[in-house]
Amino acid sequence: MTFVFLKCPCSITLLLLIQVLLLQKFCRNEKSFKPFHVSLLYKNPVHVVDGKMQYLFDEEGKRYLDAFGGIAVVGCGHCHPDVVEAIIDQTKKIQHSTVLYLNHAIGDFAEALASKMPGDLKVVFFTNSGTEANELAMMMARLYTGCNDIISLRNAYHGNAAGTMGVTALRNWKFNVIQTGVHHALNPDPYRGAFGSDGERYAKDVQDLIDFGTCGRVGGFITEAIQGVGGILELAPGYLPAAYSSIRKAGGLCIADEVQSGFARTGSHFWGFEAQGVVPDIVTMAKGIGNGLPIGAVVTTPEIAQVLTHRSYYNTFGGNPVCTAGALAVLKVIEKEKLQQNAFVVGSYLKERFTSLKEKYEIIGDVRGRGLMLGVELVTDRQLKTPADAETVHIMDQMKEMGVLIGKGGFHGNVFRITPPLCFTKEDADFLVDVMDYSMSKM
Amino acid sequence: MVFQRSLLKKTLESKNKFCRFSSVSAPKIPPFDYEPKKYNGPSADQVFEKRKKFLGPSLFHYYQKPLNIVEGKMQYLFDDTGKRYLDAFAGIVTVSCGHCHPEIVNAVVEQSNLLQHATTIYLHHAIADFAEALASKMPGNLKCRNHGIDSSKHLEVPNTRATPKDVEDHINYGSSGRVAGFIAETIQGVGGGVELAPGYLKLVYEVVRKAGGVCIADEVQTGFGRTGSHYWGFETQNVIPDIVTMAKGIGNGLPLGAVVTTPEIANVLAQKILFNTFGGNPVCSAVIGDVRGRGLMVGIELVTDRKEKTPAKAETAVLFEKLRELGVLVGKGGLHGNVFRVKPPMCFNKDDADFLVDALDYAISKM
Repeated sequence: MTFVFLKCPCSITLLLLIQVLLLQKFCRNEKSFKPFHVSLLYKNPVHVVDGKMQYLFDEEGKRYLDAFGGIAVVGCGHCHPDVVEAIIDQTKKIQHSTVLYLNHAIGDFAEALASKMPGDLKVVFFTNSGTEANELAMMMARLYTGCNDIISLRNAYHGNAAGTMGVTALRNWKFNVIQTGVHHALNPDPYRGAFGSDGERYAKDVQDLIDFGTCGRVGGFITEAIQGVGGILELAPGYLPAAYSSIRKAGGLCIADEVQSGFARTGSHFWGFEAQGVVPDIVTMAKGIGNGLPIGAVVTTPEIAQVLTHRSYYNTFGGNPVCTAGALAVLKVIEKEKLQQNAFVVGSYLKERFTSLKEKYEIIGDVRGRGLMLGVELVTDRQLKTPADAETVHIMDQMKEMGVLIGKGGFHGNVFRITPPLCFTKEDADFLVDVMDYSMSKM
Repeated sequence: MVFQRSLLKKTLESKNKFCRFSSVSAPKIPPFDYEPKKYNGPSADQVFEKRKKFLGPSLFHYYQKPLNIVEGKMQYLFDDTGKRYLDAFAGIVTVSCGHCHPEIVNAVVEQSNLLQHATTIYLHHAIADFAEALASKMPGNLKCRNHGIDSSKHLEVPNTRATPKDVEDHINYGSSGRVAGFIAETIQGVGGGVELAPGYLKLVYEVVRKAGGVCIADEVQTGFGRTGSHYWGFETQNVIPDIVTMAKGIGNGLPLGAVVTTPEIANVLAQKILFNTFGGNPVCSAVIGDVRGRGLMVGIELVTDRKEKTPAKAETAVLFEKLRELGVLVGKGGLHGNVFRVKPPMCFNKDDADFLVDALDYAISKM
């Protein structure tokens, strides 16, 4: 509900009134202490108290199929036993030490992470979130090149701190604060873009921005291989190689934001950027890295990593023993349980079923994504592609009543985001689609 | 305060600047009824090599021979040989209750087994319960909380040598006359345990508010009872800020940060969407030139000349290493790196305090 209201051109007073009303209705005795900004997804919010693998349980013990994964975070499954064991084990030994002293956990995980990277990407910096990771990556790019300008894509989401809010390019997520040194390039959107799936044609805009909007040299370029908050939008094929070429000619570094697409989620590859056939200069990640543990990371080359030796860079919590031990367990689970393969198989099957559903219902304008990072866009008119945002909210709510939790995204809030834990099965996929089918049939 | 008085007493009794006392034998660490588990992991050298290879050249560490910490219990740390150290730095003022405090470990274990990650798109009692408890520790109208590790990233650090008049000058000559805000630590941590002069914040807050700005108190290091006399550092200056930020001690090591403010200010976030994926997840001398601080946030600045206050950087480094050999781990800070930062877990007792001071005494005497 909150998403819908925030989109409309209402006055601040009305927004506050609505916010207050929402909070009064939903927060009961916690109303004074609830964070004001909390945006609940449903008319009657779900009160989750327990989680196990791909399922969540509410206070009454009702079980839900979690097809959103806590926003593409829970990769192995809620409370996966191997991960929980690693966390508890380390928590009982030493929970916080800082990198001022040695502890093997951080190095072990950094080594394991580096082994999943192509090229010369082998130096790891740990943070506590995706925002922090992207902030660090942007700073490193600017320091390395000596240039301030960074280019990102319209419809992107990279975080909510000072620098990242600038490269985030969705107005609902951008507060009215000063942003500097950022340029937003034409989005290579196969569904709504002017050039369809011709990635190279979109990339010309990056060259234009460099030529007309900067001194001709840039700090860097940051993209998500599949835009998450923006509505599971996979960049048109051929886009990144062409864009990377322009950026590198202008001296810039290429940053791949793998916060949502990383860690086997796309099925076909471990990292989203691999599907575009490129090797970035810096890779950022969070969410799926720790199955819910607050950890983020930046991986880059030894040469680029040198820039941080010019001053003191320090992160108190980053790389703490518990989070890195937990994250190492996550990597092992992904391998042991062949989650990447599962994401590919089940994800492909699910996408097929959504595509069939599209043939049945006019309201489905597009089905897209890769592996277990899928999007279903709803429109009231397939030609005009008019966003069916109200219907999206309604169906999502109906599905929740029937025991299926999904997410929502896109500029207009009319795209279902399906990013379940990677242990999702074919049966789960069938249940998900059947419930969506049923909900749509009742409209 | 007992600890600081003890240090000052010994300083005043000295005749010679460098070799004050010569103790016969090194002091002994207070007894502790706990045996660390046998360590079977990689050695210090192996861990250090791996760090150099995979964690970048910018990753710095303490001590010439880095310390391999494998276990912690309350105010003590254990290295890979099982040697026990008095932790007088608490992982940089972070471990407030004590390493692996049983109640905290239990809470973490219990919640990790139930539900580790939910996000605020669904309801969960943990975040609201904690917000309520936190708000109850706040004065005035500070009760609305936002979560996130990046709580201080938007904000600017002011000139710390300023007098209130100097802040006024910055506003009058360096801005349009209206400012967004003022942010200060009551006792600067990284900066070397520098406590703001008494009466400073009251005057500055007035100046800033007249210029339309909000006052932000950074309690990342001073919060949660560390200063002893008060729960929050800003209380020692007798002010009520508009926004309070915190981290470190809030979770005894759990990665957690928070921003507490008034409902009126919190409303600015209602205009758009501000979301934190992980935020609120259910389940963290040498000459002694100056002794300062409050409670268990103490700074000891070493200088080679008390009048000139010339930083005794080299001596600090030597003593720092000597303390480690004696079994005491402290921190280092200040612009010149000549300040010992002493901020132990708050379960630190008088015997620990005596051991620490005796060790420092012994170390200085051997210089």
